Amino acid sequence: MFITFALITLLGALGMLLQKNVVVAGLCMVATFFGVAGLFVLLANPVAAALQIIVYSGAIMVLVLFVIMMLNSHQEEEAVASRPVQRWLSLALLAALVFGAVKLVLSSGGLKALAERGAAMPQAMTLQKAGTALFADHLLGFEVAGLLLLAAMIGAVALTKRNL
Amino acid sequence: MSGMDAILHGGLQGYLVVALLLFALGLATVLLRRTLLLQFMGVELMLNAANVALLAFARFRGGDAQATVFYLFIIAVAACEAAIGLALVIGLFRHRDTTDSDRAASLKQ
Repeated sequence: MFITFALITLLGALGMLLQKNVVVAGLCMVATFFGVAGLFVLLANPVAAALQIIVYSGAIMVLVLFVIMMLNSHQEEEAVASRPVQRWLSLALLAALVFGAVKLVLSSGGLKALAERGAAMPQAMTLQKAGTALFADHLLGFEVAGLLLLAAMIGAVALTKRNL
Repeated sequence: MSGMDAILHGGLQGYLVVALLLFALGLATVLLRRTLLLQFMGVELMLNAANVALLAFARFRGGDAQATVFYLFIIAVAACEAAIGLALVIGLFRHRDTTDSDRAASLKQ
């Protein structure tokens, strides 16, 4: 199961990177979000999986697709300059970063010990536990997040409206 | 579980490798694509990769509820970022008639 959802996630992301059409790239990204939601279910966290599908696959992707349709720019524009050196250099640095990081993860003894200890305690996250932690320990953070969303909403209206 | 086995059967290392590769693909999208909308989607992928790593660690530390709370905060920030980022793309398209980041390199009107 894990490998299926991991493949859905990574192939969706790869499709997004390689796709010429912006709308199709957006739909590849929806596949990625569903794959990540599947991974959250496997991590015994259905709360996060539901939030992932509602917020990312629902709200954010609808917003992105709406903007793509509104701007009517489905294809990538012609490049001003091809910049081959920068592109290959960034790819090489990225490959080195990924190679090093994966090697580090696989060779780390601490992670291995944590994985072995953690596999023995499969505790599913429930909405009750998450809600208790949110409203008992992080009430201020919750209020600040609400204020941030309000500020973002006003900011988005101010940025897009022609004459206020 | 060791090495390859952990990756194939969903050990902690497997989730971390998936998160790393997802982050790398998001970063590659930001670096290699020129359309601002695609770059924005790449940023969202990188945020998602961080979420996968966070919740994987939470699961292997015994289902910590704090991680889910922080995941909630992260997606709240991601939603704000989506609203503001897309508003900026629309604003740029109005002024310059382009969504290409190379064509928006100048600060002059």
